[in-house]
Amino acid sequence: MKVEAESAIRVDNLNKSFGRKVVLKDLCFKVPMNSISGFLGPNGAGKTTTLRILMGLIPLLDGKIVMLGENLPAGRTRAVEQIGAVVENPAFIETMTAVENLKWFGALYKPVTLERILESIEMVGLKDAAYQRFGSFSSGMKQRLGVAFGILQKPKLLILDEPTSGMDPAGRVAMREILQRIHEHEKTTIFLSSHLLDEVQRLCDYVVILDRGRTVQEGYVSEILAGHLESWEIRIPDENLAQAVEVLKTFSEEGLEWSNCPRGLTLTMGQNMSDRINEALVKAGVKVEALIPKEASLEDTFIRLTSDEAPKGEN
Amino acid sequence: MQRMIVLILFELKKILTRKKALLFLIALNVIPLVASIALIIAYLKFKSFGFGEVQFSMLYEIVQALFTGHIKLFSYIAPFFLALVVGDSFSTEFNKGYMKMLLITPVRRWQVISAKTIAVMLFLLLAVTIGGIFLQADLFVARAITQNSGAIPQQMLPDSLGNLDKPTHLVSSLAALQLLFMTFAGNLMLVGFFILFSLFFESAIIMSFTSLSVLMGLHTFYIIASNFLGKIDVWYTDLAAWVFSRHLSDLFSVSRIEGILEGKLSLFSSEVLSTLGSSFGWAALFYLLALAVFSRKQILH
Repeated sequence: MKVEAESAIRVDNLNKSFGRKVVLKDLCFKVPMNSISGFLGPNGAGKTTTLRILMGLIPLLDGKIVMLGENLPAGRTRAVEQIGAVVENPAFIETMTAVENLKWFGALYKPVTLERILESIEMVGLKDAAYQRFGSFSSGMKQRLGVAFGILQKPKLLILDEPTSGMDPAGRVAMREILQRIHEHEKTTIFLSSHLLDEVQRLCDYVVILDRGRTVQEGYVSEILAGHLESWEIRIPDENLAQAVEVLKTFSEEGLEWSNCPRGLTLTMGQNMSDRINEALVKAGVKVEALIPKEASLEDTFIRLTSDEAPKGEN
Repeated sequence: MQRMIVLILFELKKILTRKKALLFLIALNVIPLVASIALIIAYLKFKSFGFGEVQFSMLYEIVQALFTGHIKLFSYIAPFFLALVVGDSFSTEFNKGYMKMLLITPVRRWQVISAKTIAVMLFLLLAVTIGGIFLQADLFVARAITQNSGAIPQQMLPDSLGNLDKPTHLVSSLAALQLLFMTFAGNLMLVGFFILFSLFFESAIIMSFTSLSVLMGLHTFYIIASNFLGKIDVWYTDLAAWVFSRHLSDLFSVSRIEGILEGKLSLFSSEVLSTLGSSFGWAALFYLLALAVFSRKQILH
């Protein structure tokens, strides 16, 4: 039964325990259509468990999941026909070649032509290894073949669990380019889990941050970063340091915080305060050699939200 | 339906590419294979020198023993090989991660377990058929020796043999087919038993050891309960009747095999039919239990 179409994935009140250990607790989030969404969380937050439930590897017993407008588990088959899934450490048949593996596993969706198999293999940069046995692949090549399998049927939604796991930096860059190309050329919505924050920030336009089985933040990356406190580094001579701190104290009521850094101070402040602080410092005779903006990053949000002291958000 | 067929073919391909599966096919059919060679040699010799009454009676006994031996040996060693083949199709696939690759596709869990079961059954059928083909080849040679009719030539029939309550034909093709079907049905029950076990283990070897130990334990209990404990309390006899492995003993008993070979029994004889029905019933029960377990199984790596 079609119930909703605007979200590629919608999860409501998902619960999961392993024995007495509660892994997911009333988890709720959504993944917008046509987005590249990241699924972030520290180790043990419940990312992989959530993805396994989405992929059907763990039966859904408590909660509601709608994928591509289909309710799970009843509409799972119809939904999965339009979904490509890439598990962490894909395990194809070792004695078969890449082409043979994609032919057999791909046929479980619908019969697939050799042209499409080769096209998918080429898209992930494995053209030269198309007829090599899977058992001889490196871990990076295995991961790429997993992605080739994921995109084989031109899915509307591609779910990836740690797609760059075990890859070297060059491999990660290549994987990022592959995913961007798939998103642009085939209009595929991508939902990927990762613990590499810079990678997610570069690739994703939407993120869901998970901690201890709950969503602590979700939204478009641009909106999350826009709400950030600004961070600036000011370079001042050592002899002006005490004088500068005296000036900064006058802004502390407005939420300004500072700390020492190698050639000056690092300031964290609300938006649009930097020009006033600079003006005050100059007027007080502090020699400001440079005022350098520090780019806001998901890492700050992530650490703030998932540290032990962080207030745990409600879903 | 198309997805199911692809899945069955895929599973069959995986089974047939394993070395131990080939060893399984050879080991199970060692009697018909060796017998074929021996009979061809015998045929060449008989053709050259002719044969008399003694040789014919020997031939009759040899063919009977060949079938009985093959079916008995098959029933004894098939569990060991079947446990490994089923273990590879389930336990090893959990361990290697092949199962998660299957389950992320649009196939349903009941389709996965059914396709694997059917693939193992087809493999078993192949093993049984290969034995059947060789046995038929043996019969063919034996018939050639008896002037290509399958019947003992009247002039060669010794009076002493003619007086015995034995047919004048060598084993008929129908009897051979019925025996092979019994072999298939009996082992089908074991396939179900092993599949149920394989869902709880990630190593084919450990799964095989455990399930075979349980099987032997159950059967030992059956023997003790039905022969000794039943004399103390009839409750033990009732309990022993629920030990599924007893149907294997019944199905592959020498008297049952000889009865079919001699044409005194058929698959439709009430005693054979009830045992076959029980075998299929147990196989279905094991399959349903396995389905219930598998539908809730969590694939964690």
